[in-house]
Formats: sequence, structure tokens, C-alpha cells
Amino acid sequence: MHISDGVLPISVTVGCYVASAALVAWSARRTRNEELPKLAVMTAAFFVASLVHVPFGPTSVHLIIPGLTGALLGPSAFLSIGLGLLLQSLLFQFGGLTALGANALMMGLPALACGWFFQRYKGRTQLRQAFVGGLAGAAGTALAAIILAILLVAGGEDFFGVAKIALLAHIPVIIVEGVVSAFTIGFLTRVKPALLQTSFLRQTKAAHG
Amino acid sequence: MTIIQRGLMVGLLWICLAGSPRSLPAQTPPEEGSQEVITLLNEQNRKLSNDLRRIHREIAALRADLDKPGIKDVFAGIGYIFGLFGVAAFIASRRKE
Repeated sequence: MHISDGVLPISVTVGCYVASAALVAWSARRTRNEELPKLAVMTAAFFVASLVHVPFGPTSVHLIIPGLTGALLGPSAFLSIGLGLLLQSLLFQFGGLTALGANALMMGLPALACGWFFQRYKGRTQLRQAFVGGLAGAAGTALAAIILAILLVAGGEDFFGVAKIALLAHIPVIIVEGVVSAFTIGFLTRVKPALLQTSFLRQTKAAHG
Repeated sequence: MTIIQRGLMVGLLWICLAGSPRSLPAQTPPEEGSQEVITLLNEQNRKLSNDLRRIHREIAALRADLDKPGIKDVFAGIGYIFGLFGVAAFIASRRKE
């Protein structure tokens, strides 16, 4: 789910670049120094996850994990995803360099939304955290598909047609990501709950102040 | 000198003219064997075009493989990420002091 060069009109491309640059700056300001190693690891995971191909029927789909990145990183997720996408487009030729802003918005906004959703609704119990994490992981990809449709509408496509195709094509990814996120977050709550806790505290502070 | 050269040229020309008609009948295939030769050539042609098609397919597959990111790209990217965050952490730690 990457937008290639030349799909979007120039005005949309430039607008997306400006918006994502602003979001990256905001994301970088919200990042604390102690979190840099976690951020680096999650960025590397996001960068590599796109190479994990899951065979599904005649085609194969690959993971994107914006939801999981958002759930673990909170506001810093946008910075992480922006850097991951930049390196993906430079090294893997996934999506064009001119469409980087649009791609960052497409993956980064769901990550922020899912991060907020996870921090807001995760409970105390391990099972509930895993469930909410899985939900956030699934919602991340679904939201990304919807934003993809919105961006393509700017390129002159029919919204519901594109949205339907994008969502249908990503149903397997959505399911797989939900399962992967649920397992990852369930594992982390058992092994290292502090990873999920720090960004939770920061998030509530931001929500109140 | 020029006379010798001219003589040589004329001699060569004569040999060529005289030699070429004599070599022609050897190149024309015998009438009765031509059918066999044609079938042989056809068979060879088919085999070669099959091989060529296979090689074309392999080249296309190789090109598709080249487009895919290799293990080098993956590690390069991970290295970039850790390196950039390392620089960020370094700058952040210096700023705090």
C-alpha cells in the first residue's frame, strides 16, 4: 500500500509534504531522549515488516504495522514512520520519493490515531491489552486504506470505488496485523510492561495539558 | 615494381574468377538429401527457439528478482536507522550537559 510517483497531482503532493513535515517536527519535539532506543528499534521493525510476505490465496500480502508502531510509540510514531518510509523508498523502491509526504500521512496518521486509541482504552489486564492492541493493529491498516482512498480521490478517482477496492485488497493484511499486534502487545505486557507504560503516561499528560 | 604489382593483381583476379565457378557446384546440396537436411534444420531450429524462450523467461525472472530488495538493502536500512538515532541520542546527550 504505497503511492507511487506521478499518481497524485502536484498540489496534493506539496500539501502532503508540508503537512507531514509539520507532523514530523511535532513528533520529534514530543520525543524524549530516554525513548530514542525504543524509537530506533520500532523504526527498524517498521522498516523490515514490509518484507514479511504472507501468502494469501493467489497473491501474497505484506505487513505494514502502523497500528503496532503507534501503540508502542505514541506521538513519536510519526517520526519513526516517516524515517522508515524514507529508507524504504530509497532502498526498496517502495513508493516514490515525491509521494513520500502522502505515504507518510497515509501510514502516520493511522499510527497516531491507533496510538491514542490504544493508550486510551487499554485496561489493566493482560488479556484486554492484547485485545485492544490487536484492534488497534487492525484499525491502523484499515485507516491507512481509507486515507489512501481519500488521497486518490484528490487524483481524480471515484472515492467509494477506490475505498472498496483498497479495503477488500487489505482484508487479509488487516486480519494478520490484528493477530500479530495482539500477540506482540500481549507478549510485551507480560515481559516488559514498561515499554507500553511510558508512552501511556506521556499521552495522558498531553491529553490533560 | 609497378609492373610486378599489376601482374600480381591480374593474376589474383584471374585466380578468383577461375576459382569461383569451380567451387560453386560443391556448395549446392545433392538433390536427394535436401529433404533430410530441411527436416534436420527444422528440428534444430525448434530446439534452439525453445532454448531461447527458456532463457528469455529466466532473464525476466532474474530481472524481477533484481527489483526485490535483497538482504544487503535490509541491513543497510537497519544500519541507517540505528545510526541516525545514535546521532540523535548523542546530540541530545550533549545538549543536556
